[in-house]
Amino acid sequence: MKDSAHRALSFGRISALTANTLTELTRLKVFYVLLLFALLLIGSSAFMARLSFQQEFQVLKDISLGAMSIFTSLLAIVATARMLPQDLEDRTIYTILAKPVARFEYLVGKLAGVLLLLLISTLLMALLFAAVLFAREYAALAEVTRQMSSAPSEQLHDAVQAVRNATFNPDLLPGISIIYLKACLLASLTLFISTFATTNIFTIVVTVFVYFIGHIQGTAREFWLQQNGGTALSRIFLGVVALVFPDLQLFDFADDVVAGASIPFTLFANAAGLGCFYTVLYLLLSTAVFSGREL
Amino acid sequence: MSEPAVAVTGLTKVFPVPLQRRSIVAVRDLNLRVDAGQVYGLLGPNGSGKSTTLKIILGLVSPTRGKTEIFGHDSSRVASRESVGFLPESPYFYKYLTAAETLRFYGKLCGMRGERLSARIDELLELVRLTEARNRRLRGFSKGMLQRIGLAQALAHEPQLVILDEPTAGVDPAGSREIRDLILDLKQRGITVLLSSHLLEQVQEVCDRVGILANGVLVREGTMTELLAVQNQTEVVLEGARPELLTQIAALATNAGARVIDQRTPQTTLEQLFLEATERSGDASR
Amino acid sequence: MMRAVLVALAVLLLGAARLPLEHQVFACRRQLHLHAPDLDLGLREQIGQLAFVAALGGFRSLVADALFIQAHVAWERTEWSRVLLLFRQVTTLQPRGLLFWDMAAWHMAWNASSAAINDSAQPRLALRVKAQRKYFDLGKDFLERGIANNPDKPQLYEAMGRLYRDKYRDHARAAEFFDKTAEKRGAPSYARRFAAYELSYCVGREREAYQRLHELYSAGERERLPTLITRLKFVEEKLNIPIDQRIPESKG
Repeated sequence: MKDSAHRALSFGRISALTANTLTELTRLKVFYVLLLFALLLIGSSAFMARLSFQQEFQVLKDISLGAMSIFTSLLAIVATARMLPQDLEDRTIYTILAKPVARFEYLVGKLAGVLLLLLISTLLMALLFAAVLFAREYAALAEVTRQMSSAPSEQLHDAVQAVRNATFNPDLLPGISIIYLKACLLASLTLFISTFATTNIFTIVVTVFVYFIGHIQGTAREFWLQQNGGTALSRIFLGVVALVFPDLQLFDFADDVVAGASIPFTLFANAAGLGCFYTVLYLLLSTAVFSGREL
Repeated sequence: MSEPAVAVTGLTKVFPVPLQRRSIVAVRDLNLRVDAGQVYGLLGPNGSGKSTTLKIILGLVSPTRGKTEIFGHDSSRVASRESVGFLPESPYFYKYLTAAETLRFYGKLCGMRGERLSARIDELLELVRLTEARNRRLRGFSKGMLQRIGLAQALAHEPQLVILDEPTAGVDPAGSREIRDLILDLKQRGITVLLSSHLLEQVQEVCDRVGILANGVLVREGTMTELLAVQNQTEVVLEGARPELLTQIAALATNAGARVIDQRTPQTTLEQLFLEATERSGDASR
Repeated sequence: MMRAVLVALAVLLLGAARLPLEHQVFACRRQLHLHAPDLDLGLREQIGQLAFVAALGGFRSLVADALFIQAHVAWERTEWSRVLLLFRQVTTLQPRGLLFWDMAAWHMAWNASSAAINDSAQPRLALRVKAQRKYFDLGKDFLERGIANNPDKPQLYEAMGRLYRDKYRDHARAAEFFDKTAEKRGAPSYARRFAAYELSYCVGREREAYQRLHELYSAGERERLPTLITRLKFVEEKLNIPIDQRIPESKG
């Protein structure tokens, strides 16, 4: 028999699972979501023709980043929720775990597949978004230059600068990264819930529930931390909300980025750190639950 | 090789029933030993604990008490699965993969890669006679073909032990004959096979040793010849015996303190034994 | 069972562990005016259940944009009270949207106010002027709140400067706001000039205006725009600057 030492964590095994998950999701045609995104961008530009370019760019950016956030979040939840139940139902999980594959490796591989899919989708959406924005900027610049052809060069310079400021701003990139990290967190959270859920509808419903609670967790937490007011019961309730649920509002930078608020790098870094923390945390919790699960 | 391929000692598995006080005992104090190179058949009706036992051996389910080992490695360790291949009951694989892609995936899970993996995939497809279908998606595979690709994936890393859960369930006679031939082929190569089944004729054809499970208890175990021999009785097969001779034999027997019970062409089948054994245990546990 | 208890315990403990970091990030955001506005029940009644839930779910901006477009339509129909209401909701949902504050103030102080002064349904001039004044104030109010939410951005200060200059005709306040504009990062180059122009209209502050305008004039050819020269000549005249110290007559 082969007695070559068994490696507890093998990149080869994990990458095989990752590649397979990505193939699976790709063949489920999840990328059609991106088509929807493209239609939305192009469709929305049509009715924005009546707005001024600043308004148009603001709305375009809001819609694009909002849609990116919705699509990546939905993709994260829906794609992850079906993974475990599907493998269990089809008994494919037996064939995989009967190989020298640790349950942790299985979960990491699956999750990494989803995260990779999310990364590809986010990048594609960002590219599409940049292309549309670039095209609109080009058109707006041409328009401004034409209208102001007789104005002094300084005014033209200001006007051109105004268009440029209204289109791209340097915080867009970290803003999009945080959208991606939020989706990663959601995927990991969904995986965790699916390790003890019995159906994937249950998983999706619970995740969406956590999603909304997560957006008001901050309010509950701050209220709880202030240590004043409220009955004992309501304080316990707030405490549980604060401890159990993640604060998802901390990841909502996109709105402020589009509005033009400049966001310090440390704030981005903190949010990114929290995003990674939660992703890893839920993965570990998933492993803890899943390792004890009878298949 | 003195180390058994599979050793099960004092294995008990209790499944709690959610929201109820009672629980179900799936396997009760089971001891089992499969020696290397044997083909061992685990028999039993549905719900007798066969699948649970196999899953515990593979580390998919944890035992309540007792322990299981594969070539001396505890089943709860991932490393124990380096030397075992498993084909679950009516398996589904990823339908969007082709036969070759499926084997590549499982090969990688076993730590194989590159040239060696590619060569092994060709070999496996050849072995289960799916070379023609190598680039077809599993979506369009028949039950028999799925079972064969399942067997191929179980053999991907050339394990010393192969565990097959109902390998011929739902497969047509021709398909199940092919699988049976494959099992015999494995045996010839010195690979240990542990299979569960309720298709007794096939088991009879391929197994060296069988164990019969009923209600989680191993009620009979032994080699094929031991089990099928009827204890305390001797079969005398005569050719061209006249009735007078038979009468004489009966008289002789009576004189010697023996008794002729029956006169017929003696036959017992595994099926009979199986039914007998499981019915008796059912009465006992009631 | 044991495992479930342990996992639940881990969730609570790790929850407690990350609480300080979350709180810190939250506080940092609050300091930067990046915290989400308090979405209260009043707002829910105004924008409707679905939009409120979307806003809660992290899609404030999308809801704000939708309302903004509604406001745009209301403006096209000159439904001023609806424009006001919608812009209040828009700015509540997205207080960092400079554009929203700016548009809201512009609609009030420029469009609605001129509609009010030209209102044929109101025969009495005094009441028309009063209504116009009310809209100026509404515009100012939007800008003030906008500035409070975005103290570091030049745009709203500039808008406030224009409002004082063009509507209230308060040149001192206008100059003050153009100056504030110029102090902010990313301010347009004309902010400083505008402030000096406004000062030149303030009776009693001609000396100050002269210094500022002259400084700009000396800064180079780039600043010597027709208006600057006109205003500089105006204060030179007013202050009786000796001829030899005055700027040369332009060729044109």
